Amino acid sequence: MFKHLFKMIWNKKKQNSLLIVEILLSFLVIFAVFSFALNSYNNYAKPMGFNYDHVWAISYNHTLETKNPDSVTLVYQTLLRDIQSLPLVVDAGYASSNIPFGSNHMSTGITTNGLYVDRVNNFFMDENYVNVMGVKMLSGRWYDKGDLASKTNIIVINKSLKDKLFGNTDAVGKFIGDKPENRKKVIGVIDDIKTDGDYQAPTYGLYNKQDTAAYIWMGRILVKVAPEANAAFEGQLYKLMAGRLKKSNIEIEHLDNKLTAYNKFTLVPLIILSIVAAFLIINVALGIFGVLWYNINKRRGEIGLRRAVGAPGSSVSAQLVYEAMILATLSLIIGAFFAVQFPLLNVFDLPASVYLFAMLFAVVFIYLLVLICSLYPGKQAAAIYPAVALHEE
Amino acid sequence: MIRLQNIEKVYRTNTIQTLALNSINLDIEKGEFLSVMGPSGCGKSTLLNIMGLLDVPSGGTINIDGQSTISFSDKELAKFRNQKLGFIFQSYHLINDLPVLDNVEVPLLYRNSTAKERKTLATAALEKVGLSNRMKHFPTQLSGGQRQRVAIARAIVGKPEVILADEPTGNLDSAMGNEIMDILLQLNRDDGTTIVMVTHDEFMAQKTHRLVRLFDGSQVQ
Repeated sequence: MFKHLFKMIWNKKKQNSLLIVEILLSFLVIFAVFSFALNSYNNYAKPMGFNYDHVWAISYNHTLETKNPDSVTLVYQTLLRDIQSLPLVVDAGYASSNIPFGSNHMSTGITTNGLYVDRVNNFFMDENYVNVMGVKMLSGRWYDKGDLASKTNIIVINKSLKDKLFGNTDAVGKFIGDKPENRKKVIGVIDDIKTDGDYQAPTYGLYNKQDTAAYIWMGRILVKVAPEANAAFEGQLYKLMAGRLKKSNIEIEHLDNKLTAYNKFTLVPLIILSIVAAFLIINVALGIFGVLWYNINKRRGEIGLRRAVGAPGSSVSAQLVYEAMILATLSLIIGAFFAVQFPLLNVFDLPASVYLFAMLFAVVFIYLLVLICSLYPGKQAAAIYPAVALHEE
Repeated sequence: MIRLQNIEKVYRTNTIQTLALNSINLDIEKGEFLSVMGPSGCGKSTLLNIMGLLDVPSGGTINIDGQSTISFSDKELAKFRNQKLGFIFQSYHLINDLPVLDNVEVPLLYRNSTAKERKTLATAALEKVGLSNRMKHFPTQLSGGQRQRVAIARAIVGKPEVILADEPTGNLDSAMGNEIMDILLQLNRDDGTTIVMVTHDEFMAQKTHRLVRLFDGSQVQ
């Protein structure tokens, strides 16, 4: 029976081409939505890698009039000590402007042992970062005060970068950067952190030590506060900052609020794409329904004949459903050919498993959609009275 | 072979009631070739549909090959039609998207036969009607007479005991009509197939064993 139906569909391929294209397009859109959603969910399921609760980010710009490096260093070190000594502050430290959940990004590329890794986030942090953010050291150590003052080329990297460059071996003590001027010794490996929100995967990270010359451009202080810290304390902190850095634009943001805002960068496009997909699916469902309905009315004679030569109603109904499924299968074969290019060509740099699962879900979704849309027309076909249908012809 | 007793068929709408068949009693013997004649709208096709279990009578009983079919379910009716009955229609009712061989195989799809068996039986049926050289053609590539021969091959492929033909020569010229009639006569004579044929053609009807005439739903001869 399958061969018979396939032959009939194949011989009517021109008439069926529109429906095949329609199902193909909806498969591709659903595949895109599922890929996006699955990737976002996978990232969401991963741990954040640090504790952003009760962490405030103070932004400022360097407005000190003195150009003397020692004086600049003294001012900023004193400022940090004063912040740290506030009663509701757990710890604080300087950071480059690319703090978590911010719009600033600094990226670079590095070549190690001939392997080039692109889009590596380049962070500059002081010795307090691990304590302020609750970041987990996987091996080695974080910077100490001695490191910040020394001229040695050392670096801390994250787990993703370690895995990329050194595989499963321990990276501590090894060097990154093939060029002498870029060569740095790895002293520690920290766990991955999702700096771009809940729904974005952690990226490769280089955590550079912040030396005293960096005070004039760092621009951020991360402050871990006690849960009791309130708006009044925030005001106190603001006053302290404004008093030390005259004419500076100072802003205090809470990382949890920044995370909520940042997540919208992922969620809003996903919601928009889902709405577009939902409209398309409704369109496709109506299209399939309409085409099958039209087919039944056009094929009343054939349905009557099949009933006459021995097809029970259930068989006629099943035939219509099978035909729709075969058409869907043809569309899905073409669709799968295009979809499989994404993991093969590593488009958008997503894990292959995301594409494969998205493809699987999209296939199941399309089959279910086609099944649901063909059930009722199939039932209507079964209800055609053979004597009437044969007489009409 | 076929026994119809007090068959009535009434079509009802909200406002009107039409008596299509009125108390038809008919006994058709095994191997008989019977023709049914009458003016348009007299109930010939309705009678044939009832005999072919494609329509249910409003009253009376039908007995085919010793079995009363009145209480049959949809599945039982389908199986019975598939195994015992073959149909030929005035407008052939071939599936234009399938080649001739596949058209002939259609009744066998609803049996537990393999693809090989279907092909063997369909080829034999086409040879019987002289169309073995047209197996891969599509119906639209054939003449009216050839199409009707394909329809006959489809009707006999399952070796039914009864063939019900609804004006099989109605769309054909006299030469092609005679060809079709010769095939039907041959099937009746050589294979002993019982044939009931509705026709408007007195000349064709005279070639059959018996003629039944209907008028306004009643049997007049």
